[in-house]
This record gives sequence, structure tokens and C-alpha cells, in this order.
Amino acid sequence: MKKAFWVVLAVALVALASCAPKVAVKEWEIPFLNALTGPIASIGEYLDWGAQQAAREINAAGGIKGKPVKIVGVDTALDPQLGSVKMAEIVKDSLVALGPVPENVIQAAMPIAVEAKMMSMTATTSYEYAAPYFPWTVSWFPPTEKRLGVLVAAWGKLHPEMKKVVQFVENYGPWPGMADAHVKGLSELGMTVEKVEVPTDAVTFGPLVVKALNLKPDGIVFVCNASKIGLMVKELKSRGWTEMGKLLVFSSGDAPELYSTGGKDIDGVVVYNYINPFVDNPRWNVFKEAFKKDHNGMDPFSLSPNYYDAVYMVKEAIEKTGVTGDPKKLAEERKKIADYCANVKGFKGLQFDWDMAAGIPTNKPTYLFEIKDGKKTLLQEVR
Amino acid sequence: MPLQLYYFLTNAAINVLMSWALYLPYRVAHLHFITVANMAISGYLAGYLVGTLHVPFGWALLAGVVVAALIGYVVSLFIGDAPTFAVVIVGFTFIYITRTVIENLKAVGGTLGMFGLPAIAATPAGHRWAVLGILFGLLALMGFLIHRFDHSRLGRAASAVFTDKDLASSLGVDARRLGMLVQTFSCTVAGVCGVMYAFIYRSLHVDFFTFHLVGIFMTVIFVGGYATQWGSLVMAPILYGVPLLFPAAVQAWRIVIYGAALILVLVLKPEGFFTRRFVVKLERTLSGSRRRRNTLTKEEL
Repeated sequence: MKKAFWVVLAVALVALASCAPKVAVKEWEIPFLNALTGPIASIGEYLDWGAQQAAREINAAGGIKGKPVKIVGVDTALDPQLGSVKMAEIVKDSLVALGPVPENVIQAAMPIAVEAKMMSMTATTSYEYAAPYFPWTVSWFPPTEKRLGVLVAAWGKLHPEMKKVVQFVENYGPWPGMADAHVKGLSELGMTVEKVEVPTDAVTFGPLVVKALNLKPDGIVFVCNASKIGLMVKELKSRGWTEMGKLLVFSSGDAPELYSTGGKDIDGVVVYNYINPFVDNPRWNVFKEAFKKDHNGMDPFSLSPNYYDAVYMVKEAIEKTGVTGDPKKLAEERKKIADYCANVKGFKGLQFDWDMAAGIPTNKPTYLFEIKDGKKTLLQEVR
Repeated sequence: MPLQLYYFLTNAAINVLMSWALYLPYRVAHLHFITVANMAISGYLAGYLVGTLHVPFGWALLAGVVVAALIGYVVSLFIGDAPTFAVVIVGFTFIYITRTVIENLKAVGGTLGMFGLPAIAATPAGHRWAVLGILFGLLALMGFLIHRFDHSRLGRAASAVFTDKDLASSLGVDARRLGMLVQTFSCTVAGVCGVMYAFIYRSLHVDFFTFHLVGIFMTVIFVGGYATQWGSLVMAPILYGVPLLFPAAVQAWRIVIYGAALILVLVLKPEGFFTRRFVVKLERTLSGSRRRRNTLTKEEL
């Protein structure tokens, strides 16, 4: 009787195993449309590094369903023409893709992914650039107006005596929209906000700073390129600005150039961002050290974790939805991945766990930092 | 039709047309970069008309072309016979002005751009065939018109102005009117490109129209040959298409390869690959002319 039980159990297990979908690929190849050359090549490298780091870890742990994952960098060099042809090539037979980067290539290439019903994760752009392509992408950030108003208001509450704030705004992609969200948040605190436009090709900032100071602001928000912010803070200090905590730098300004151009002059400045380098968990610590090792001791770029997480999200989608990589099931499996990612719950990101609802993150934290000795220190978590 | 081929063909056709838009004013030694700004203006105008006001595509195309031609004409009233350097400065300034205006116009999406322009046919495949048909029809039409211009009295007058403006004027050529004509014609071609560009991608971003385009079209003209329209026709698809065949590691050096090709051609073959002599010889070879292939008439030269 006992023997018969074990025979039946063994047969049942074999039958069960044969029912499980088999993986039809030797390797999970994920193309990543990225700006690997051209003016933002350094950012492209940081993003690529994040995706490659995830692939290295996944492969060291046995791959996805036992098969290795390979991230294939596809350079678009910021060129929409090149981006469109490359995306047209990718949608032929890829299961899922990463990118494109940046916004002008997203606009040229994402309609092709949408038409082919293939998910391409635009993990570094704002909600406004991702939303038109739902459900074939997800947004890594909540709607700008909703999130940033609250975040900037949290900074405003640290200095309730502020009545007038000047905002330096550079006209680039989503930045004016971010500036509008700041205005909304600060206006709700009863503050008035005046705008000083920063020309994209500006190289000297004295006149802009004088113009801002003539408005007699109590605080200043920077919505422009990181190196410009560093230089403008220097100008402000040289003209007698001392209340450094009343200077706020937006997330895209929190880049290495801010620290290299600002030097000691940016001490005390407040920065907001979506990642917290002081998180203490083993995965983040490994990531941070590996990034430093590969980048001459530099701390991870604030957007580097995004494509790291994107690769893990694809892994989870493949594993949890029974995706096999079978070319005959391409359309069906593309949809499975897109549906899973758009509504994933409790996704274990590099820094924190989060949920998605219809392609939008619902509970990601944001942070305010103060710069001390050229390094960020955590001031406040804002949810 | 494979998607890749569609995007290759449409992008190549746009590059040919835009290179012609630069080639035309260069016939009178004008580097007229205002064409890139006109491309953006027409693209955004057509996008707004079709996407927001629901104007049929045909009317939007016409509006884009007419507005581009008008801008070209009005500007040419001031720089129709200006020195090359002045024309270059006006062109660059116009690109800056246009970008700034677009960035500040909320109606066309400002810095965010325009998304989801409607298709011009009922199905995606129908849209692609319609775009290809219209684009290549316009390419053939513009090519024919430029060919007729090059082989007309006006074309010969343009060659004379290119060689020596003062001498041409003393022979009765009205350099200003000729400059106005080619500048307006070139802006019209750019208008066509702008509208079609918007409907190839069905979205628009101000960074679709950068100085990067000026570099590409200049390379096409000077490597292909600035003395005939054929250089642009052949070189635009080659310079755009060949790098797509390179391995990824080589592709990263594409701009260096473009630059090196441009320098080499300027040093070794200043007129580019498709010189007028080469084209006439080729025409004779293909038509089996009995005339000695190395002897060209003065008119042909």
C-alpha cells in the first residue's frame, strides 16, 4: 500500500512537471533603447549600468526560469530618426524592451511599440511622457502635479516665514510642468512664486541672479540643469545670500555636475529626489558599492536604480505569468507582461517596495535632503 | 511592409527633401538654415490643425506648405541677396526664435510636445501606405521641379551667381530676385518635410528640430556633391542607412565617421562625389550618346 502511494505520487509529480510551460528561449534578450552616445551619453551609461547590474545579479542567481538574461544596449544617440528605426527592428520579435531614453526619442519610438503591442519600459521619464503610451509602458513616477506639489510644500513648511519664492526655470521637456507643480504646492501655503527663465544656452549667470534678487525673494527653487544650478548658487553667495536652506534643487538637478560645479558653496542647500542613498539594505549596499567601484568612487546617479528595478520587474512578470518566450505566443505573452507590470503589488524594488495601479505607482516615497560637506544628508521623507 | 523598411524609407525621403531644401539656396551660395525652423513651424501647424481643430490632413498639408513658403518669401525680401554669412546668421537665429516660441506655446504642448496625432487612414498599415505614397509623390514632384530649375536659364543664372555675383549682375542676372526665388522654393520644400515628419511619428517634440539636423544635411550635400541634385538623392539614404548596418560598437563612432568623411571629401574632392561633369558623363553613358564622353559643352559644364 505504501509503495503504491509513492508510485502514484511520483507519477503525479512527473505529470505536473510536464504540464508546466517550458521555456522556449536559450537566453532572455531584452533590448534597451538608450542614449549611449551624444550629449547625455554619461547619463545613458549610468542607466545602462543599472540594467546590466540587475542582469549580472539575476544570472549569478540562476537566471530567469533557469535561463540567463541579456540586456542589449541599443544606441539612439538622442536621434528620433535612429530611435524609430531601432524600435521598428525591436518590435519584430522582442518580448519586452527597456527605454527609450530620452523624451524626444520616446515620442518618435513609443508609438511603434504601442502599435506592435509590445511593452517598453520608459523608467526615467515623467508621468506625462509615459501616460500617452499606456498600457504598453508604465510610469515610474506619479503624475507630476500631484506629487511635487506635496513635496515642495513640505520644504515650504520648514520655512513658514517665507512669503515670496523665485523659481529659476529652464524650458526643457517636463521641467516647466514640474515648475507649475511647485507653484501649486507653495501657493497653497500662501506663498507667491515668481519665475525667472533660464536660457538653455546660458553660460554666465550673474544677470539672472541679479534679476532674481531684485524681486526680493525669501526662497529660491531651481528647475534647471545641474551644472547651471551649481554656478547660480555660487553667484547667489557672492551677492550675499546666506540662508542656504531656503534654496531648493529639483530632482533632475541632483546630478554629479551639481556637486562638481557647486563645490563647498552648495552646503546647506536642500534637494528633493525619489531615491534615498542612506537606505540600509543588503541589495542597495551591494548596488552602491558596485557602482562606486565602476565609477571612480562616485555615489550612484539618482536614476541608476530605475532600470535595475525595471529588469527585476520584467523577471517577476515572466516568472509569475508563465511566460515561455515561445515566438508563437509572442502577442499573448507581451500582453501578460504588460498587464502584470501595470498592476504589480508589493514589488520589491532596490530601495523600497511599491504597488502599481493601471501603470502608475501609488505609494513611492520622496525625500528632502540637505547638502553637507558636498554630500546629501536626509532631512525628511515625504509620502 | 516591414516596419523597419517603412521608417528607413520615410526618414531617407525626408533627409533627401531637406538636403534639397539646403541645396537650392546653395545654388546662389546661400546656406539657408531657416529651412529647419520652417520644418518645425509647418509640422506643429499641421499637427495642431489636424490634432486639435480636426482639419482634414490634405488641408493641413497645404496650410503647412503655404505658411512655410510665405515665411520664406517674407524673409527673402530682406536677405535675398545678402552675403552667405548673413544668411547663415539669420537661419540660426530663426531656429532659436522658432524653438523658443514653440516651447512657450501651450496650444502645441510647449516643451512637452504633441502626442497621438491622428492617423490619415483607417488602419495603421493604411496610414503607412498613405504617408509613403504622399511623401514619395512629393519627392518625385520636388525632384522634377528642381531638375527643371537646374536645366533652365534660372539654373544657369544661379551657377553664374555662385561663381561670381558681381560678374553675373553685370551680365544682367538679378541676383536678388533669384535669391528670393530659391529661398522661397527651399522653404516650401521644408514645409512639406515638416508636415510629413509630424505624421510619420504622429507626435512632435521641439528636439526633433535641432542643429543636429543642420549637420546631417550639410554632410549629405557636401559629401554627395553641392553642384547637382543627385548627390543629395544618393547620399542621404547612404549616410543615414549605412550606419544602421554597422555593429553597435562601430555605430557609437558614427558622428566621427561622418565628420571624417566630410573632411576627407572637402580636401580630396571639394565638389563632392556627384559633380556636374560626373552626372553628364553618366547620362551620356546611360543614353549611349555617340558624342565623346569626355567632352562637355560649356553649357553642360
